[in-house]
Amino acid sequence: MPTVQVNLYAGLRSYIGGKASVAVEVSPDQTVRELLAGLGIPPEHTRILFVNGRPATTNTPVSEGDQVGVFPAIGGG
Amino acid sequence: MSLILRVNMSEPCVRVEESAEAYRELGGRALTSALVAAEVPPTCHPLSAENKLVIAPGILTGSGAICAGRLSIGGKSPLTGTIKESNAGGMAALHLAALGIKAIVVEGEPPKGKWFRLVVTKDGAKLEPADGLAGLGNYDTVARQFQEFGNDVACISIGQAGEMRAGAASVAVTDMEGRPTRHCGRGGMGAVMGAKRIKVIVIDPAGGERPKPIEREAFQAALRKFAGILTKHPLTGQTLPTYGTNALANVINEAGAFPTRNFSEGRFEGVEPISGERQHDMILDRNGIIAHGCHRGCTIRCSRIYVDEAGQYVTKGPEYETVWAHGADCGISDLDAIARMDRMDDDFGLDTIETGVAIGVAMEAGVLPFGDAQGAIRLLEEVGKGTPLGRLVASGAEALGKVYGVRRIPTVKGQSIPAYDPRAVQGIGVTYATSTMGADHTAGYAVTANVLGVGGRVDPLKTEGQVELSRNLQIATAAIDAAGLCLFVAFAVLDDSSALDAICEMLAAFYGRPFGPADFLAMGKRVLAQERRFNTAAGFTAARDRLPDFFRTEKLPPHEATFDVPDDELDQVFNFT
Repeated sequence: MPTVQVNLYAGLRSYIGGKASVAVEVSPDQTVRELLAGLGIPPEHTRILFVNGRPATTNTPVSEGDQVGVFPAIGGG
Repeated sequence: MSLILRVNMSEPCVRVEESAEAYRELGGRALTSALVAAEVPPTCHPLSAENKLVIAPGILTGSGAICAGRLSIGGKSPLTGTIKESNAGGMAALHLAALGIKAIVVEGEPPKGKWFRLVVTKDGAKLEPADGLAGLGNYDTVARQFQEFGNDVACISIGQAGEMRAGAASVAVTDMEGRPTRHCGRGGMGAVMGAKRIKVIVIDPAGGERPKPIEREAFQAALRKFAGILTKHPLTGQTLPTYGTNALANVINEAGAFPTRNFSEGRFEGVEPISGERQHDMILDRNGIIAHGCHRGCTIRCSRIYVDEAGQYVTKGPEYETVWAHGADCGISDLDAIARMDRMDDDFGLDTIETGVAIGVAMEAGVLPFGDAQGAIRLLEEVGKGTPLGRLVASGAEALGKVYGVRRIPTVKGQSIPAYDPRAVQGIGVTYATSTMGADHTAGYAVTANVLGVGGRVDPLKTEGQVELSRNLQIATAAIDAAGLCLFVAFAVLDDSSALDAICEMLAAFYGRPFGPADFLAMGKRVLAQERRFNTAAGFTAARDRLPDFFRTEKLPPHEATFDVPDDELDQVFNFT
């Protein structure tokens, strides 16, 4: 099965046992929403999404080799 | 009570005067910029007798409002040549407000070769000789004041960089623990204080009476509403206290906008060891402190206390900008080394952004290699020694880059660009180019909608919508800076319109007259218009509202992006003035 790398940040790392990233198998036509659901992450706990460093939404499709970045609400400056 | 302290260094003497009617409702940036615009000739030399150092707490500071402890310091900047307002947290603004002081205005030409201390109490203020403090860093300078005056005072001070009148010199403000960790960093206001020969200002709030809102019950109701919004918002209520400002490192790196090795790449392979997540774990492992406020009445508590492996205090934070400037921008991924440099910056009295970027430019010039953490520390030590090389670092990235013949110098109007590459965050590029302050992310933080999903979404890699985004944020920010509010309240304001309502309800109750969101934005526009007029009179034209050309010509990996917002669109940012 093709895989994507999902990088989780801040408090979201607790969903994958404190690790920073996880490889996830994906099927064709899968979106970020299904990816998060598979990891047990409620969408309302996420705020900032990237696929390959570009801004994404839960509707963005993912495919083999993609890097997905998932953050909660974050700010500073 | 609404007092302005006039500190005339030509005499030298202090005069206390009632604030003029025109200034009665102003505070923070609105007051510093109004006083500078009215009293400082725009073409004067920033280190001359004609320039003034204006220090003002915000409108709501001391009123009981939360997250409203900002201290604004204004004048003509020796770094940029523009008008300047730089603000910081810490305890000084609250103490000044408690004494009914709206502003301290330091003016005139001090006697040669002497240093002074200004002591401010409920009975007024006096200048005292302070030659014994000359050459000391901020830490030693303030420690002597607390020893003499007790722990309930606050200090505003300069270190060696301010004494040298260097372009990157900051003004330090003491925090709740009496440490000089909060800085009005940007634009070299420490050099203006040094030119006035004031080493430290000690503020004793004893016996003072803090400003009271005219309509107390309405004020309390608005305050409760505001506090509830800040506590509930996931950013101001959770992420900022838990991970601090440096939670941004991974986000901005993921976005490909984390300026690396002097703005040559947008991702840093060494980000994880210097990330907010790692910083959080290291601090807790070493029994440091997270969720630390920089002044009384802060509910966000984004600061932290950083300790070494032995558990000994090193510094606060360090904050995201500092971790980036001394870290990724120099190719350094050693958080302990970065914390050491943060401590040195605070002690010497240096803007961490300007200093880190200057060291990055020195690395590009071949003075030392990228990634050389110990070399960077040694270079910074030169500032404390006052050697020619140290003076060069303290003069900022543009001066250092020119001396070494570097082409890629990331500055606008002489001030270093902060921790978001404008090629991958086009909206913040608009702010850098056009801000009245020179390159300044805080002036209109378009990273919100561009990257953080706060206040809507505008694609960071496209040009559409960026000018309007930057314009609206610059207007709102000028008003927030006037109110004395921490800019981080803006995250809640941008997401929840009732937060701006609550701020306006606080201001209305404080003034005792109607004050709504339209009045708030009108205040921001007035501040910006005044600052633009000063800069125009100082010789700044549209040609200066531009990024360095390499941002348009060099592609930034990984997105291979260039900055593409057209010049004629940049010229529309201030179409309301």
